[in-house]
Amino acid sequence: MGNSRVDFVIVSLLNGISYGLLLFMVSAGLTLIFGMMGVLNFAHGSFYMLGAYFGYTLARYASFWVALAIAPLAVALIGGFIERYMLRRAHRHGHAHELLLTFGLFFIFEELVKLFYGFYPVEYRMPAALEFTAFSVSGIDYPFFRLFIAGVAVAMFMAIFLLLRFTRAGLIIRAAVHRPEMVEALGHNVPLVFLAVFALGAGMAGLAGTVTGAFYPTSPTMAQELGMIIFVVVVVGGLGSIEGALVASLLIGIFSSFAVGLDWTLADLGKPFGLHPWLAGLGGLLTVRLSTMASVVPFVLMLIILLIRPAGLMGEKA
Amino acid sequence: MRVFALAALAAASVSGTFTSVHADNIKVAVIENLSGSGSTTNREFALAVRYWAEQVKTKGGIRGGVVEYIEYDSQGSTATAAEKFRSAVADGAHIIVQGGSSGVAGQLTEDVRKHNLRNPTQPILYINPGSEALELTGEKCHYYFFRFATNADMRVKGLVTAMREAGDLGAKVFSINQNYSWGKDMQGAIDSYASLGGYTVVDRVLHDTNKIQDFGPYVARIKASGADTVITGNWASDLVLLMKEVATSGLKMKFGTMFLDLPGSLESAGQAALGYYTVESSNKEVGGDAMLALYADYKQRLGHEPSSSETRTIFAMQTLGAALNTLDLSKKIDVSAIASALEKANITTPAGEIGMRAEDHQAIVPVIISKVSPDAKYKREGLNLGFKPVRVIAGKDAVNPVQSACKMERPS
Repeated sequence: MGNSRVDFVIVSLLNGISYGLLLFMVSAGLTLIFGMMGVLNFAHGSFYMLGAYFGYTLARYASFWVALAIAPLAVALIGGFIERYMLRRAHRHGHAHELLLTFGLFFIFEELVKLFYGFYPVEYRMPAALEFTAFSVSGIDYPFFRLFIAGVAVAMFMAIFLLLRFTRAGLIIRAAVHRPEMVEALGHNVPLVFLAVFALGAGMAGLAGTVTGAFYPTSPTMAQELGMIIFVVVVVGGLGSIEGALVASLLIGIFSSFAVGLDWTLADLGKPFGLHPWLAGLGGLLTVRLSTMASVVPFVLMLIILLIRPAGLMGEKA
Repeated sequence: MRVFALAALAAASVSGTFTSVHADNIKVAVIENLSGSGSTTNREFALAVRYWAEQVKTKGGIRGGVVEYIEYDSQGSTATAAEKFRSAVADGAHIIVQGGSSGVAGQLTEDVRKHNLRNPTQPILYINPGSEALELTGEKCHYYFFRFATNADMRVKGLVTAMREAGDLGAKVFSINQNYSWGKDMQGAIDSYASLGGYTVVDRVLHDTNKIQDFGPYVARIKASGADTVITGNWASDLVLLMKEVATSGLKMKFGTMFLDLPGSLESAGQAALGYYTVESSNKEVGGDAMLALYADYKQRLGHEPSSSETRTIFAMQTLGAALNTLDLSKKIDVSAIASALEKANITTPAGEIGMRAEDHQAIVPVIISKVSPDAKYKREGLNLGFKPVRVIAGKDAVNPVQSACKMERPS
């Protein structure tokens, strides 16, 4: 019995971390864009979806590795185009307009994907070379590809972190996040910085899509399925903070993963007082299990963070 | 002068409509999930109704009456379905058909019931060939609702009986289902038939419907429970992802499902699904030449062979057709007469006899339990696996007793 408890903890941790890292890959770009430009990019999930679909097409005609190299670049280009010719115009009219624009783009991308690829999920598979078991934990085989996804996420984090911290371009980007007018006064091309950041964010989401689309389902509803959770990650982690996004996504991944295995109910709180039978008898909300509500856990976390520390775990206090 | 001319023109056109006598079209409105998540499976109901409507058209209508088919997209949401119902009413629908989610069905059946209370002279009929939550013929039953599908109890009873007979049911069952009316009914049914099946339910879990991408945590829980069999009512991506995750994790489980036969599910699971069981309402191997002819015609018109949802819907609509055939359709459409004819209708389909039970409007339909096997006569594309029928249970043996919660008010 004790053994299966330990097994459950280990497997849930592994699942939670791998899912959390996937969330990080997609939300890193979003938090950067949000932090810098104040633009709530509703279409960020769409960049993820486009990365997966471009990856699917390129993998079919060339190979997965070609897809991995080219699809994120294509998505970054699309992101750059959107920023330069659409968002920049809307910027004049305020944040609400930018938000509505990205909202509209979300719908357009979904319909475009349905138009070109159909309503049904496509068979985007990982290359056979990567389709093996890495190791076994308590009788459950852990596929290597999950480690691959985690590896790509960690590499992405290191690259962005090093870029922002140790390069001149990173310095300008970070300065522009805090004080865009001052940076512009110093003679830097701030609009170009914005363009680069947006394209970079889109490209990161695209890379996430290309890699994970081969493991998880690739369908036209991908963007809306992931869309909500990445906002939660960004809010919990703190707007503009890459480190915060990493911590938040890991937290959310791990909590959601553990929640599936736990049947705690609110009525359980009455156990030490001997009130459990009465509370359980009342039914309703008191008997809802945590395992059933596993998908709601991220939102509960967001609520707690907003109540205790509204700037997010690692965000700047306004 | 101009106003007078316009008024005269208006009067003339209005009177023109009254003078000609012709039958109303019978408007059949399908309100279905055509584009939301799970729509790949749900839209089949709309396709099948459209097929039936076209068949009726090529035969010259039913006793001269024209069947008009209209489609509404509920996007799988109860709120949108309610909105589309109002549109359908405004467009003059007589009959609505919906078969996807039991959640949407629960909403629509209440909308129909309330509409009929407020408009007793112009009621609307609701035919459901796919939603299997018990409440629809239980506490939510009413005179204008007809369920042509099986329900959770019928399916689980049939499944565990057949699996136990074949020796393919383990002693420890893990019950995993979606967190809405259907899933909860399934969970209850799996528990209540434990002694019939000779198993204990070692663990049970409910989860969000068609939203979860990663079933890793659920597989971890299955392993931790020590179960040797999984019984689930999951459908569409929930079923596919669950089976894929079980396959990649290398767990060897016996599986009892309800919707493995729906397109895409077996193809996605591949060899991992060998030996898995499912409960269906029709199977190409059962029903002889008549069934094969239906499959061939459907494929010719729609480009794919019908799934069990589609055949079930076609048989439901054919039962409606049989009921309509007993009525005089030359005057205004009388929906209450259609309802009373439908109560008494029964037809013989290639899969068996279908009748309607008047007490709760649950159809009495046969239940087929099949196993994924390379010995099946008809294999899925790209696989050498198909569904081999193991047991066919006739309608009268399969149907569950009338639920005490159903108190149907009949028009006097």
